[in-house]
Amino acid sequence: MGWKKLLIELGLTDSEKRRIDDAQLDINSAGFDDWGLDPETLKAALAVTRWIYTDYFRVRASGLPHLPPGRVLLISNHGGQIPLDGMLIGMSMLLEARPARVVRGMIERWVPGLPFISSLFSKMGQIVGDVRNCRELLEKEQCVLVFPEGVRGSGKTIFQRYQLQRFGTGFVRLALETGTPIIPVAVVGCEEAYPSVTALKPIAKLLGAPYLPMTPFFPFLGPIGALPLPTQVTIDFGAPMVFQGDPDGPELEIEAMAAQVRDRIQAMVDDSIKRRGGKVFTGGAG
Amino acid sequence: MSGRETVLITGAAGGLAGIAVANLADSYDLVGVDPRPLPKGKDFPGEFHVIDYQHRRMGEVFRSHRVDVLLHLGRIPVGARLRSSDRYDTNVLGTRNLLQLARRHGVSRIVVLSTFHVYGAHPHNPGHLLEDDPLRASQTFPELRDSIEMDNLARMFMLQNPSIHLQVLRPVHVVGATIQNYISQLLRNDFCPVLVGYDPLLQFIHESDLARAIRLSIESRRSGVYNVAGEGVISYKRAVDSAGAWAVPLPSALVYGALGTLSRFRLGFPKHLVDFFRYPAVVSDAAFRREHGYQPSISTIEALRSLRSLRAVVEPPHTAG
Repeated sequence: MGWKKLLIELGLTDSEKRRIDDAQLDINSAGFDDWGLDPETLKAALAVTRWIYTDYFRVRASGLPHLPPGRVLLISNHGGQIPLDGMLIGMSMLLEARPARVVRGMIERWVPGLPFISSLFSKMGQIVGDVRNCRELLEKEQCVLVFPEGVRGSGKTIFQRYQLQRFGTGFVRLALETGTPIIPVAVVGCEEAYPSVTALKPIAKLLGAPYLPMTPFFPFLGPIGALPLPTQVTIDFGAPMVFQGDPDGPELEIEAMAAQVRDRIQAMVDDSIKRRGGKVFTGGAG
Repeated sequence: MSGRETVLITGAAGGLAGIAVANLADSYDLVGVDPRPLPKGKDFPGEFHVIDYQHRRMGEVFRSHRVDVLLHLGRIPVGARLRSSDRYDTNVLGTRNLLQLARRHGVSRIVVLSTFHVYGAHPHNPGHLLEDDPLRASQTFPELRDSIEMDNLARMFMLQNPSIHLQVLRPVHVVGATIQNYISQLLRNDFCPVLVGYDPLLQFIHESDLARAIRLSIESRRSGVYNVAGEGVISYKRAVDSAGAWAVPLPSALVYGALGTLSRFRLGFPKHLVDFFRYPAVVSDAAFRREHGYQPSISTIEALRSLRSLRAVVEPPHTAG
C-alpha cells in the first residue's frame, strides 16, 4: 500500500488530509466502513484528480453553508455524457464543505460487474443505485447524491443542454420516508463539456448502451476528441427543501413534489447561466 | 447430572463442532454423531456415534438420550471429496430425518447451521443482504442446491412447527486457528490468488465468536433465520494481507478454466467460492445482534491473524501424525 501513501503525501495538504479524517465516517478496524468505503483510497483518488477540479474545470462552488449536518439528499441536474458532474460535486464536498462529507453516489446497476471500476468505486464510497441501499444510507446519516434525470439527463445532446428532463420520483418517496432534507444542486459547465450532437439511439440500442454520444471531436479526433472541453464549472447548492406527506401516497402527489424540486433546480441553473453570460470557458472567473 | 439438558450435535467429528462443544460442555450433556469417525487424537466430551443422519438407527440415538436440543452442524460443504449424490443424501435427506425425529422425540430447540453462501455472490446484491433476500446461489452454481434445500427444509419446519424453537444460522466465512474450511486453508497459504481487477468485500467471523453465537442461539427461546457476522467488512486483498499471505494476481478467465478442469477430478477449490472473490455478498447481522445481544469479541484483523500466528503451533503434530 506504499504508493497510496505516497500519492496522498504528494497530492494533499495536511489540512485536507485532516478534513477527510474528520468527515463523519464510521471505519472498522480493517479500515472500511459498512459499505466498503476506504478513506485511504478516497484520499489517494482525490490527490490524483484534484487538478481536474481546481485547474481543468476551475470549479466555483457556492451555497455549501446550506448543507445541514446528518442525512441529506443532493439532487442535481445531470448532463454531459459521463458523470463528471457527480465527480465534481463529490470533490467539492470533500475540498470545500465544512465539515467535509463523503458523497454517496448511486451508481448504475451494471457497474459492479466491471473489473477495476467496481472495486475502485466501492472503496470511494459509491453504492449501487438501489432503493434499499439509499434508504439504509440515509438512515445512517449519510449524504446521498441522486440525478433524477438518470440517463435521460446524461444522454442529452448539446441542443438540449440545461433543459431539465423529467424527474424520477423515487427520491421524493425516500425523502418522505426517512425525513431527509433535499438540497437542490445546479451544476453549470458540465453539460457543455461533451457537446454531443446526436445520441445515435438506434445504433446505441443495438449495442445495448443507453446512448452513443457523437461530438464534433469524438470519435473523429480519436483519443484527444474524447477529452472533455475545459469549460468553467459552477456548482450552486440551494437551501434545503423539506417535504411532508405520505411516502406511499399517489404518484400524482409525489410527481408534484418532484416537479417542485426540478423547477427550483431549473431556476438555479438559469440564474447561474445568466450570471455566466456567453463566457462558457471563462464565465465564473469574472 | 439430571436437570442438565442434552444437546445432540451433528458433524461432531468436525473442527467447528470441537469449538462449539468446548463452549457447551460445562452446562449441557453432549451426544455427538457424525458419518465420519473422530480424527485421531481427538475425543468428544460425551457419547459419540458414527452414523449417517438419514439412517434408521438415528431414531435410537434420540430415544436413548432424551435429546432436548438438536444442534445441526453437519452440513457437508461443496468441494468435500464426496460424490454430489452422497452430499445431497446427507444434507437433504439427513436433515429431513433429523428434523422429523426431533419432532417425534420432543426436542424443544433446534439450531441449524446453514451458510451465507446460499445468497450467492452477485453483482446485483444489495449492500447488505437480509435474511428474507432471495437465495440465488444456485442460479450460477447448481452444486449449491443441496445447501439451499437444506436451508429451505429447516425454514419450512420452523413454520410448520411453531411449538419447537428452530433457528437457522447463516454465518459468514469462518476463520480461526483450528477450523479446516476452504477459506481458512486458502488464507493459510503463503500465496493467495487474487482475481485481476476484482477486490470485493468479504466478512469474517472468528471460530470462537461463532461458538458463542451458537450458544446464544441454543439458549434463546425463539425461532428465526439469522445472518451471523463478525466485526465488519474487509476487502479480499487486505484480508490476504492481514492473514500474512502474498497476493498473486491471476486473470479470472484462467482461474475459472483451471478450476473447471480440476473439479472434474474433484480437486482444487470449489468453483462457486470463486465468485465470492469477484462480487460482493455482504450480509447484515443486525437482527441477530439485536435479538440475541450478540457482539463479536474478535476484530476482523485479529481473526485473520489467528489463522497464521497459531498455525505454527497447531501444524507440527498434524504433519507428524
